[in-house]
Amino acid sequence: MLLYLVRRVLYAIPIALAVGLVCFMLVQIAPGDPINAIVPADAPQEVVEQVRRDYGLDKPLPIQFGLWISRVVQGDLGRSLATGRPVTADLVSAIGNTLMLALVAAGIGFVMGSILGTIAAVFRGSLLDKAAVGFAAAGVSIPHYWLGMVLVVLFSVTLNWLPAMGAGPGGSGSWAWDWEHVKFLILPAVTLSVIPMGIITRTVRGVVMELLNQDFVTTLRGKGLRRGGIALHVVKNAAPSVLAVMGLQLGYLMGGSILVETVFSWPGTGFLLNSAIFQRDLPVLQGTILVLAIFFVVLNLAVDLIQTALDPRIRRA
Amino acid sequence: MTLSRRALLGATGLAALPSGLILPEAQAQSERVLRYAISMADIPLTAGQPDRGAGAYQFTGHTIYDPLVAWEMDVADRPGKLIPGLATSWEADPADRRRWVLKLREGVTFHDGSAFDADAVIWNLEKVMNAQAPHFDQRQAAQVRPRLPSLAAWKKLDAMTVELTTKAVDSLFPYQLLWFLVSSPAQYEKLGRSWDRFAAEPSGTGPFRLARLVPRERAELVRNAAYWNPKRIPKLDRLVLVCAPDAVTRSNALLSGQVDMIETPALDMVPQLRAAGNRVVENVTPHVWNYHLSMLEGSPWRDLRLRQAANLAINRDEVVQLLGGLAKPATGVVDPASPWFGNPSFKVRHDPDEARKLVRAAGFSPRNPLKTRFLIATGGSGQMLSMPMNEYIQQAWKEIGIEVEFRPVELEVLYTAWRNGAAHESLRDVTANNVAYVTSDPLYALVRFFHSGQVAPTGVNWSHYKDAETDGLIDQAVRSFDPAEQDRLMARVHERVVDQALLVFVVHDTNPHVLGRNVRGYTQAQHWFQDLSTIS
Amino acid sequence: MSTTIASPPAAIAVPQPAPSRSRGYWQGVARRLSRDPVTLFFGAILLLMALAILFAPLLAPHDPYQTSMIRRLRPIWFQDGRYPLGTDELGRDMLTRLLHGGRLSWFLGITPVLIAFAIGGTLGVIAGFAGGWVNMMIMRTTDVFYAFPSVLLAVAISGALGPGISNAMLSLTLVFIPQIIRVAESTTTSVRNLDYVESARASGAGALTIVRVHVLPNVLGPIFVYATSLISVSMILASGLSFLGLGTKPPEPEWGLMLNTLRTAIYTQPFIAMLPGLCIFATSMCFNMVSDGLRSAMDVRA
Repeated sequence: MLLYLVRRVLYAIPIALAVGLVCFMLVQIAPGDPINAIVPADAPQEVVEQVRRDYGLDKPLPIQFGLWISRVVQGDLGRSLATGRPVTADLVSAIGNTLMLALVAAGIGFVMGSILGTIAAVFRGSLLDKAAVGFAAAGVSIPHYWLGMVLVVLFSVTLNWLPAMGAGPGGSGSWAWDWEHVKFLILPAVTLSVIPMGIITRTVRGVVMELLNQDFVTTLRGKGLRRGGIALHVVKNAAPSVLAVMGLQLGYLMGGSILVETVFSWPGTGFLLNSAIFQRDLPVLQGTILVLAIFFVVLNLAVDLIQTALDPRIRRA
Repeated sequence: MTLSRRALLGATGLAALPSGLILPEAQAQSERVLRYAISMADIPLTAGQPDRGAGAYQFTGHTIYDPLVAWEMDVADRPGKLIPGLATSWEADPADRRRWVLKLREGVTFHDGSAFDADAVIWNLEKVMNAQAPHFDQRQAAQVRPRLPSLAAWKKLDAMTVELTTKAVDSLFPYQLLWFLVSSPAQYEKLGRSWDRFAAEPSGTGPFRLARLVPRERAELVRNAAYWNPKRIPKLDRLVLVCAPDAVTRSNALLSGQVDMIETPALDMVPQLRAAGNRVVENVTPHVWNYHLSMLEGSPWRDLRLRQAANLAINRDEVVQLLGGLAKPATGVVDPASPWFGNPSFKVRHDPDEARKLVRAAGFSPRNPLKTRFLIATGGSGQMLSMPMNEYIQQAWKEIGIEVEFRPVELEVLYTAWRNGAAHESLRDVTANNVAYVTSDPLYALVRFFHSGQVAPTGVNWSHYKDAETDGLIDQAVRSFDPAEQDRLMARVHERVVDQALLVFVVHDTNPHVLGRNVRGYTQAQHWFQDLSTIS
Repeated sequence: MSTTIASPPAAIAVPQPAPSRSRGYWQGVARRLSRDPVTLFFGAILLLMALAILFAPLLAPHDPYQTSMIRRLRPIWFQDGRYPLGTDELGRDMLTRLLHGGRLSWFLGITPVLIAFAIGGTLGVIAGFAGGWVNMMIMRTTDVFYAFPSVLLAVAISGALGPGISNAMLSLTLVFIPQIIRVAESTTTSVRNLDYVESARASGAGALTIVRVHVLPNVLGPIFVYATSLISVSMILASGLSFLGLGTKPPEPEWGLMLNTLRTAIYTQPFIAMLPGLCIFATSMCFNMVSDGLRSAMDVRA
C-alpha cells in the first residue's frame, strides 16, 4: 500500500515536468521569433538583446528549458506583454475565481447528477429513466456557451433576476458569500454544471444499476435489510468510481471554463486566456496553461490516492 | 443616482452587517456612485500615460492626471479648443520660433501632497523621452513618444517656467502637448521607484484619485476635493470603471441595472436600451474609420487606380445602416464641414462600375482577384462594429476583384503594429491597417499621417508615404502662425490626400454612449477626450 | 462532452473481445441495431443533415456571402418564404448560411477524429501488441497529453499557433490522439493475451499476420465506437474555438462563428440568433445517441 502511494507520487513528478515541457514549447511553436513573444513589439533593440541574454534565448533549447523551469519553480512566470505586470500576480486572483466557479458548478452537477442517476437506475426502463438519460445526453451535447447566452436573456434581461456579467458588485477582489455576491455566480455556475451533470448522471446510473444486480445486494435483501440499509451499501460501493469521475470533472471544469467565462465576463483563468490569445500575450498564455495543467495533474493524483484508500482493490500501475 | 449596495456599505461602515439590515435612511447620506462599463479589455495604464488609444484618456488620463495644455471638454455644439491646463500660457519665442516658453500654474499639488513645479515637468519629460533616465518607463514612453514627434529639448527656466524646444518651427506643437500628462515624482520615490507599484497607487494632479484597481476588471476613482479647478471638482463621490469589452455583455449589464452608463452599445440592442428608459447620447466626433494602405515597395496599393477602386466599391450608406444610423459616411479624413476639407477633385462615393473598371485597368478582375491581407481589430474603442463592418466591406471588394483576408487582433496589438509602421517585420504580409483615427486637429488629422518626417516609428505615417509637394504644404503650414493661412494650407493637404486616395475612407463615428435614466451632467465633447468630472 | 466522459485511465473498461469476431457477430450487431428505434431515429436525422449539407449548393436558395444592409436581421419566413429562416446581421440568408456553415462545422468536427483515429489507432495497436519498451514510450508520452484537460489543450495549441482552420484542426487532432491511443492500447493488450493469439504466435505466424488476422478485427470495433463518441465533443470544441475567434475566419459560414456574430441580435431576433447553437446542439446530440446505440449493439463497454 505504502509502496504504491510512493510510486504513484513519484510517477507524478516526471509527468509534471513533461507538462512543463509542453507549455515551454508553446512559445516555440508560436509563429515568429520567440523573443517577440516575450518582449513587446515596440521595445528598443537594447532591451530586446538584454532580455534575450537574460532568458538565455541565445542558448540551446534544453538549457533554455532548464532556465525556464528553474524560474517557474521560484514562481516567476515572466511578465505580461500587454500589461507589464508579473503573470503570477494576475494568475493568483484568476485561479481563485475559476476555482470557485468550478467548485460550485461541480457541486451542482454532482448533486443533480447523483439524484438523476440514482432515480434512473432504481426505476430502470421507466419513463423517468428515459427522461433522465435524455437529459444527461442533452447535457453533454449542448454547446454550453450558447446555453449561457440563452440563460442571460431569460434571467438577466427578461426577468431581471440575476446579473449578466462579472464576479460580484465590487469585482473579484471583494468576494463574500452573501446574496449580493452569490447571485453573480448562479448563471455561470449553472451553465458550467450541465456537462458534469450529464456525465455524473450516466456514471451513477451505470454504477448503481450494476450494484443493484450484484449478488451482495440480493443477499442483503434476502437478509431482510431495509431499503435504507441497502442504499447505504450501494453508496459505499459506488463512491470510489463516482468520486474518480467527479475529481476529473472538476479538473475539466477548471480548464474548460474559458467559453463560459467569456460569455459572462467572469474574471477567471479563461477570461485571462481569452484576452491573452488576442493580445498574443504568450507569457500569460503559457503561465495560465501551465498552472491549470499542473493543477490537473495534482488533482488526478489526489483522486487516485483517495480512490485507493476507499477501495484497496483498485491499484493502478 | 443609482447606489450600489457595496458602496453604501463602505460608506456607512456597515460592511459586517447582513445586507438585509441596512436602513433606508443610510442611503440618503451615502456616497454618490456611478458605474461606467467601458469597452476596454483592461483598465488603461494608470501610471501616467494611458495605453489603449485616445479613447482611454478620459478614463485614466484626464481623471487622475492633467496635461500642460488642456482641451476644452465642456462644449458639445462646436469643436473644443486648446485651454490652459497645468501651464497657464505657452508662447513661441518670436526670435526663435522653435523655443516655446510655458508658464506653469501656481499652487497645484499632487494627490500625495507634493507640489507641482518645473522640476516635476522636466522629470516627467525625462520619464518618457530619455531612455537613459533612471526613472525612464518604457511602457509610458511607448504611448506618448509618438505623440510628441516635434519635441527636441526641454529645460527649466525658473521654478514655475519651462522651455521646450522643437526640432523645427512647428506652430501646431501645442496640440502635441495635449497628450502629455504629469505624474508625481514624490510618489514614485515614496513607492521605492517602481512603476508597477505606482500604477497601483498613482498620484497625479487630476480631479479624481485612484482608490482601487483590479486589473482587467475595474478601477474605482474617488473625488479629489482639493482639485485646483473648482469647475472640474467631481460631482460624484466615486466613479467605478468596469471593463466589459463585449458590447452585448456591456449592454446587458446596463439593461439589468448592473451599471449606470456604457460606452458604445451593441447597436442591435439600441431600441431595447431606449425602451428600457435609457438615453443614447452621441455627437460629431473627429474620427475616421478607415483602412490605411501601405505605400511600401511591393504593396499593390502603390497603384492609384486600386486605391480609388477600393474607395468606390463601398456603399457607405449601407455601412451607416449597419451601424443603426449612429455614424456618418466619410468622404475624407475630416468632415466636409471642417475648414481643412478643401475641395478634392476625387469624389469619395459608391460607384461599383467605375471601381470594377479601375480594377480591370490595373490588371485584376473578380475572376483573377488581387489577393492581400489586412490587419484589423477584433473590436474596441473607436473601432465601432469592427468585425461586421470589415466583413461587409470585404464582400463589397470581392465583387470588384479585390480579395482581402483579415488578420483580426486585439486593439492594443493593432496599435503596436500601427506605431511600428508598415515596414516592420511582423507586418511583412500585411498591406493595410484598420486603426480608426482621431482627427481632432491638423496635427492629428493630417500631419502625423502624411508628412515624410513622420514615417513610423518616429510618428504614425504608417504607410511610409513620401510626397514632396505634401511635405512642402505641411512645412509651410507649421511655420505659419496665422490660423487662416494654416487652415488654407491644411485644406490643400487634405485635397491631395483625398485625390490620391491614400486611405480608404469609410465612416465617421458619432461615439454613442448610453446613459441610465439617473445619469445627469454628461456633456459629450466633439472629441475622444471627455470630462467625467461633470457627471452626477 | 464525452472526452470528459470517457476516461480516467480506469474508466476505460477493457472490452470483452469475443474470440475472433466472425460474420455472425456483425450480423448480430446489425440485428440489434435494427431493433433499436432510438438509435435509428437519431441516425436518420444525422443522415438527413449530412445530405442537406452535402447538397448545400443545390438546396440553398441564396448566395451565402451576398450581404444587404436593407434586409438585415429579418424575421423567419421573411418575404413569404423567400428567406425561410430570415437573415443574419449582414442581411445574408440564414438557411443558406446554416446549410453552408454545416459543411465547415461537420468537417471541423469529423476530420480531427478521423485523423486521430488513424494515427492514435495505429500507435495504440502497436503499443498494445509490441508491449515492452515500445509500449512504455508511447504510453508515457500519451500520459503527458492526458495531463491536460481537453478544452485547455485545444485552446493552448490554437492560441499559440494563432487563429485559423488548419491550426484549430491540428489542435483538436492532438487532443484526440492520446485518448484514442489509450483505448486502442488497452483493447489490443487484452486481445494479445488471449489463447488463440498465443497459439498463433506459437505456430510461427508473423507479427503482421497476427495483427491483421487476429488483432485488428477484434480491436477496430471498440476503437471505432469510441471514436464516434468523440465526434460530438469535437464538434462542440471546434465551434467553441470558432466562437472564441480561433477557428474559422469571417466571412466563412461556420456555426460557432455565426453563433458569436449573431449574439448581438439575441433581442431583436432571438430565434434567428439561436439557430446556429441549435444546429450544433442537434448534431452533437445525434452523434452522441448514435454512438451510444452502436456501443450497446456491439456490446462494447466504455
